[in-house]
Amino acid sequence: MAVAESEFPLVSRRRRRLSRRRVGSALAPYALLAPTAIVIGAILGYPLYLLVRLSFEQYGLFELVRHKGTWIGIHNFRTIFHDSQFWHVVARTLVFTAVNVTLTMILGTAIALLIARLGRFMRLLLTTGLVLVWATPVVVAVNIWRWMVDYEFGVANWTLTKLHLGNFIHHDWFANTWEGFGVITAVIVWGAIPFVTITLYAGLSQVPQELVEAAQIDGARAWNVFREVTVPLLKPIFIILTSLSIIWDFQVFNQVWIMLGERPSPDYYVMGIYAYVTSFRSNEYGLGSAIAVVMVAIMMAATVVYIRQMIKTGEVR
Amino acid sequence: MSSLTPLAPTPVAVRAPARRIRVRRGKLVRRIGLNAVALLVFAVMVFPVYWMVATAFKPGRDILDYKPHWFPAPATLSNFTNAIHRQYFWTDVKNSAIVVVCVVTLSMVVAFLAALALSRFRFYGRGAFIVLILGVLMLPLVALIIPMYITMSRAGQIHGLNWVLGVNKLSGVIVMYMTFVLPFSVWTLQGFMRGVPRELEEAAMVDGTTRFGAFVRILLPLVAPGLVATSIFAFIQAWNEYIIAYVFLQDGSKQTITVWLASFTNLHGTDWGPLMAGATLTALPVVVFFVLIQRRISFGLTAGAVKA
Amino acid sequence: MAAIRFTHVIKEYAGGTLAVDDLNLEVAEGEFVVLVGPSGCGKTTALRMVAGLEEITDGEIRIGDRVVNDLAPRDRDIAMVFQNYALYPHKTVYENLVFGLRMRKVPKSEQRRRVEEIARILGLEEMLERRPAQLSGGQRQRVAMGRAIVREPQAFLMDEPLSNLDAKLRVQMRAEIARIQQTLRVTTLYVTHDQVEAMTMGHRVAVMRSGVLQQVDTPQRLYDLPGNLFVASFVGSPAMNLLDVALEREGGGLVCRSGGVEIELPVDIAARRPQLEQYVGRRLALGIRPEALSESSTDPDAPRIRGRALLVEALGAESLAHVEVNAMALDRPELVDVSAAQAHLLPVGDRTATLLARLEHDTGVKPGHVVDLAADVRRLHFFDLDTGSAIPVAGVPVTAAVV
Ligand SMILES: Nc1ncnc2c1ncn2[C@@H]1O[C@H](COP(=O)(O)OP(=O)(O)OP(=O)(O)O)[C@@H](O)[C@H]1O
Ligand SMILES: [Mg+2]
Repeated sequence: MAVAESEFPLVSRRRRRLSRRRVGSALAPYALLAPTAIVIGAILGYPLYLLVRLSFEQYGLFELVRHKGTWIGIHNFRTIFHDSQFWHVVARTLVFTAVNVTLTMILGTAIALLIARLGRFMRLLLTTGLVLVWATPVVVAVNIWRWMVDYEFGVANWTLTKLHLGNFIHHDWFANTWEGFGVITAVIVWGAIPFVTITLYAGLSQVPQELVEAAQIDGARAWNVFREVTVPLLKPIFIILTSLSIIWDFQVFNQVWIMLGERPSPDYYVMGIYAYVTSFRSNEYGLGSAIAVVMVAIMMAATVVYIRQMIKTGEVR
Repeated sequence: MSSLTPLAPTPVAVRAPARRIRVRRGKLVRRIGLNAVALLVFAVMVFPVYWMVATAFKPGRDILDYKPHWFPAPATLSNFTNAIHRQYFWTDVKNSAIVVVCVVTLSMVVAFLAALALSRFRFYGRGAFIVLILGVLMLPLVALIIPMYITMSRAGQIHGLNWVLGVNKLSGVIVMYMTFVLPFSVWTLQGFMRGVPRELEEAAMVDGTTRFGAFVRILLPLVAPGLVATSIFAFIQAWNEYIIAYVFLQDGSKQTITVWLASFTNLHGTDWGPLMAGATLTALPVVVFFVLIQRRISFGLTAGAVKA
Repeated sequence: MAAIRFTHVIKEYAGGTLAVDDLNLEVAEGEFVVLVGPSGCGKTTALRMVAGLEEITDGEIRIGDRVVNDLAPRDRDIAMVFQNYALYPHKTVYENLVFGLRMRKVPKSEQRRRVEEIARILGLEEMLERRPAQLSGGQRQRVAMGRAIVREPQAFLMDEPLSNLDAKLRVQMRAEIARIQQTLRVTTLYVTHDQVEAMTMGHRVAVMRSGVLQQVDTPQRLYDLPGNLFVASFVGSPAMNLLDVALEREGGGLVCRSGGVEIELPVDIAARRPQLEQYVGRRLALGIRPEALSESSTDPDAPRIRGRALLVEALGAESLAHVEVNAMALDRPELVDVSAAQAHLLPVGDRTATLLARLEHDTGVKPGHVVDLAADVRRLHFFDLDTGSAIPVAGVPVTAAVV
């Protein structure tokens, strides 16, 4: 039974030559990824490259017809950075995003915690309602809210008046920018709550019951259990949801655009609208691109947080 | 409640249950309070959707009344007939359908292959590719539209390219929709595939299939529900898209249903009844599909973030 | 049927883990070889390389007389039973069983005949139309076995096929697998980390440790003549007692001393291990299996070890006594199987060790009692403290210690 060396003659210790099968299986993943890579490269990579190039070019109607821009270096950036309207728009967008994200996260979390405490029937009812809202296309949602705050026949106007919160009969919500953005925020937050709530609730229901019980046995009260067990476990989801919300709310376009009948006044410009109007209404494609580049750069920060959290939580494996 | 029966004559026995009742009553109050709050939240969240449907079924004079009519009684279908007989309604529904079917089919085939690579192979550059996929999902469409428009208007002039690409071409929109549908589908699908244990394919390979055969015979049937969920989600995204269609499809007969709906006011003044009917019809397919897959999607972007 | 032969096989994972290091092993035609070792030692990796599910970094694997290094799994004609069975959840039991035959283009009628025969043998006839989710754990295990058997392959590979079953079922299936292997005489490589499975099922047992094969032998010889400290501490449950002793010459004979313990070696015992002479005046490791210790009353001539009972576990047929003695426990974690060693050693003081002794079931020993243990000197094991290798017994062939 002895394993003598002679019984197992030495085979060549040289690394084995790569056989066909090995090369095949090493190349397989690249072959499978190729179509996606090509599509993304062609329809995203090229436009992205072009966006950056355009931001350094004079590209107006003339150039559009000629199909060729004129290189002007950082002139576009200099223009927007010296434009007080640009800074207004940036500030407005940041504040708007902050308000929307804060409201979305607070209300979304509150409702998720509420759902977790409900009985079976109420839970089902509320989640069904949330799914219904979630499913409503943005264009539809905006039109509904436009109708609810209609100048003459808006149901919101009537209700608020009846509740003695002021006189809203024949009230134009969009005459005042604050009120106008209030309505837009309502649409956005209303539409964003379901995703946040349902995801958080799914997370809440995954918090292992033994952990909660263990904490209770250790003598923790409800609030402490929440703080010591629930919050730390939900933190990764919370970070992911917050960064996603920032990303989505910062690039808001449809809600503002459709709400204001596809021609918002400059007071309603957020970055997405500003880039769009500069490009397509004023036909300053180079300048618009420069604004869009700034926008992408700002978004990058939130994206990095998002991806880092995804990697940390093991989503990216 | 049996504690209140005369079967418990001693004072001690009476006192203890009395306390229990108080505790129970406290709980009851709390439960009623919670349910009331839940009902209120439900009402506030659902009301706008309800108001759309209710308005859609109301006759014109009930809609245009300072005092809201809370229920669509008497109900009428005239708003719906009005909406679907508007110019371009059916053409635009058809356009949307064409776009959606093409986008979903194309991206599912391409995404399936990529998801296979990401979930079943280890290879150099895998992590970078995943980061790319996630990063790309975050690009604002507004930023992409500008260069795309330049490209499309250029391509529209180029002989040989202009039969697919160009302004006012559905095929151009289909290609552009892939930008956001494809990365999403790859990401979601590979998540579903990771849920299928690898040993099943290994068992099949030992049983005599090739590696590819194992994908087709074992993985594909097992990941089919995920494939369906992902394609429905892709459907929803494509159906709801507005801005690309708005910029690139300028001809009324070439538009999609969302653009049709958004331009309702501009073309016809605000005619709330038919608008709400049109909105209801636009939302209908989405709602139906959403309800079908809702259990799966909430995990799409964040699945597994909580792991004990 | 065909032999499986590993020749200088090396497996290095992408991360740099050396999972299998220079493995040389032959599973003869029709033989049942069990591969054991602690968790993470590379057993699964070795098995998967045979199946073709893992690339071989270096070396050569043969099945029969074919080198299979670069063959796809389907061309190797082997069957594998996975730890979690890997039954196709979307296929019925019948479809699961027939899948391999269909892939190999066996004629339809033959497929049916073979599946039905296997189903009868394994008692699965009633459930052919069910899906895996509708089966109990034991039934799933049977289907997994059936899927392997029905193919009539050159060799079976099994990766801990019983670890997901409860204790009773495991005993039952253990016998069943051994029986099936005996009737079919199929070459089998079986991976487990359960000692009892290893000792009862295999014709031969191969012990691995961190990628390195330690010893291959029949279960009995592995138990009686462990080639090194690792095998000695890994094989056997409860594990062998190991003491750090000094070997001294006293009068004409040899004596092992450790703390207050003194074991005199009779001349004939010492003579059987001529190499012991070289260790006089040095330290070595002394191994005593728990059953080689008994209450001194039974054997008045044997060397005695006095200690205090800490704990007596009544196991029904016997009692297991943990006895604290004034001796030095072996402290060479790098040479022994740590998991087993720590399991029975209660807290060790500086100069005390805990010995495990198998006593009669009706022993009067109670915790706290002072006991005199008699050691059976014919069943002592000696190991070099530096290399861990056993000090060989003259006339007995060197076992396959490949360190
Ligand atoms: N795919 C892999 N990539 C990198 N390292 C791996 C991989 N698979 C296993 N390893 C490492 O190789 C070593 C051997 O693993 P293997 O699965 O063969 O152990 P095992 O003996 O089967 O253990 P167990 O009894 O726990 O199943 C371990 O250190 C493990 O971490
Ligand atoms: Mg293993």
